[in-house]
Amino acid sequence: MGSDITTRQGNKSRHTLRMRSHWLGVFSLLAALLLWGLVAHYSNLPAFILPSPGEVWNRFLHALSDGSLLANLWVTIKEVLLGLLMGTVFATITGYLIAKSRLFEQLVSPYLVASQAIPIVAIAPLLVIWFGPGMSSKVLICALIVFFPVLVNTVVGVRAVPASLHDLMDSLRATRWQTFRFLEVPAALPIFLGGLRIGATLSVIGAVVGELIGADSGLGFLVNVGRGQYDTALVFVAIFTLVGLALILYGLVAAAERRLLSWQDSKIN
Amino acid sequence: MRNKLIILMMVFLLALPACAPQATATPAALTQVRLPLGYIPNIQFAPLYVAIEKGYYREAGLEIVPDYSFETDGVALVGAGKLPFAVVSGEQVLLARAQGLPVVYVMAWYKDYPVAVVSKMAQGIKTPADLKGKKIGLPGLYGASYVGLRALLDSVGLAEKDVTLDSIGFNQVEALAADQEQAVVGYLTNEPIQLRAAGYQVDVIPVSDHVQLASNGIITNEKAIAENPVLVHAFVQATLKGIRDTIANPNEAYEISKKYVETLSSADETIQKKILAESISLWQANPPGQSDPQAWDNMQAVLMKMGSYANPLDLSKAFNNDFIK
Repeated sequence: MGSDITTRQGNKSRHTLRMRSHWLGVFSLLAALLLWGLVAHYSNLPAFILPSPGEVWNRFLHALSDGSLLANLWVTIKEVLLGLLMGTVFATITGYLIAKSRLFEQLVSPYLVASQAIPIVAIAPLLVIWFGPGMSSKVLICALIVFFPVLVNTVVGVRAVPASLHDLMDSLRATRWQTFRFLEVPAALPIFLGGLRIGATLSVIGAVVGELIGADSGLGFLVNVGRGQYDTALVFVAIFTLVGLALILYGLVAAAERRLLSWQDSKIN
Repeated sequence: MRNKLIILMMVFLLALPACAPQATATPAALTQVRLPLGYIPNIQFAPLYVAIEKGYYREAGLEIVPDYSFETDGVALVGAGKLPFAVVSGEQVLLARAQGLPVVYVMAWYKDYPVAVVSKMAQGIKTPADLKGKKIGLPGLYGASYVGLRALLDSVGLAEKDVTLDSIGFNQVEALAADQEQAVVGYLTNEPIQLRAAGYQVDVIPVSDHVQLASNGIITNEKAIAENPVLVHAFVQATLKGIRDTIANPNEAYEISKKYVETLSSADETIQKKILAESISLWQANPPGQSDPQAWDNMQAVLMKMGSYANPLDLSKAFNNDFIK
């Protein structure tokens, strides 16, 4: 009974903290909008330099009503999801192999590290030439940008499994698959999901970089169109939509993390 | 004795300035002006390099610093009054003015629009009508290439839906060489020359053979014209001198350009001189620098048909021929 009361009190204070955090977030957003509006109004900067929040909102409604925003958003979402999936799958497989085999690590690590030194913006035009201007080059750019953070976290997560637990599994005569399924996956999951959260937000950047280089659809394409027509409000609309997309993806991964790792909370309780 | 010493010191102090060497009059400081060109350092900008090197801008009190940022950034900065001049393509002026940017085109550098459609001869694309149903690569669905293509299609009654457009960035040469596209949109001064130098036989359809459009030139803003027309006139005249000298002596212009285009000395001289010769052929406005009102009318018609803006602009405010005289 004492522990029930403590649990209820703990849940209530966590809820209060969450609510306070949400309201602080809303307040800071409103404050930022107010500041932006004041700067736009009193700076006398023309709309093509700094549109006001109202101008951006009107442009947003216009882009929504003529279908251009949703159509281009859907293209970017497809590129992001496919790129995230592709990058995550390859990074997870490669990361696991690196974690389990020193020889494999010595063979591939120099190339992996060197590849990260190449700015994606520099290599993107080459990928467009090699893989064409369609979705495939954008998905590939996206996958490349997601790959490294997920890879690193997979390696760290798998290697972080204590040797004592491996010994325990050996003493129970667990098969390789059983060790992988019942020990390595749950043990590495927290760190792996941390990398996936980073990868999810980076995947949006990857898709946009590809679209900025050469595309006829997508939110990056909208940025180029807005820029080319001095429609800075449209550029803002595209950027805010990208931010929203990245936040949603981050939130989805965080929600999956809470669900998949709920056993950690119940263990503590 | 003490009083004599004081008097002597006072006389000495009074006489001192007369002994000092006369300071020479300080020359008026040059105004440093960043000039956006909208492209990378290139032999096509030879007239500007010639005008800088021969001191034409200095005579106008200006120290010109070439700037190679994006064309749209240059237009926005001139429109905002942050920079006095920029080199841009004609459609940028109308697109900018449609959004309220007070930019004014004050000198036509190119008489002919430099955009063209290029294809391998095997494709058999000899006329604009042959583009129907073809897959065409271009940098993007914006800018001079897109506008030029739309004008070309429109000249033979074709619409964008009659072709397939691929946004391929600035990879036109590679895309055509690899047969990823049946045709590409590029500049007369670049892609056709590069492809022929690589051994490809190509057909070229210049936009200017079918429609006259307001092409590359110098812009300023309404404030500069109102408050400092002398500066605008001086800048335009210095640039015209640079163009005239380049046309009269391309070899000299080529040598001067080596100082400003880092890779020119090591580049293939034959190709680069072809680029310069092709560029010169597009500059033959008569009189030099004069804007053609019909070209501006045509440009507005194309842009409005593309849906770039709904209401026609007052073109008399978009360009000004007063400063070329």
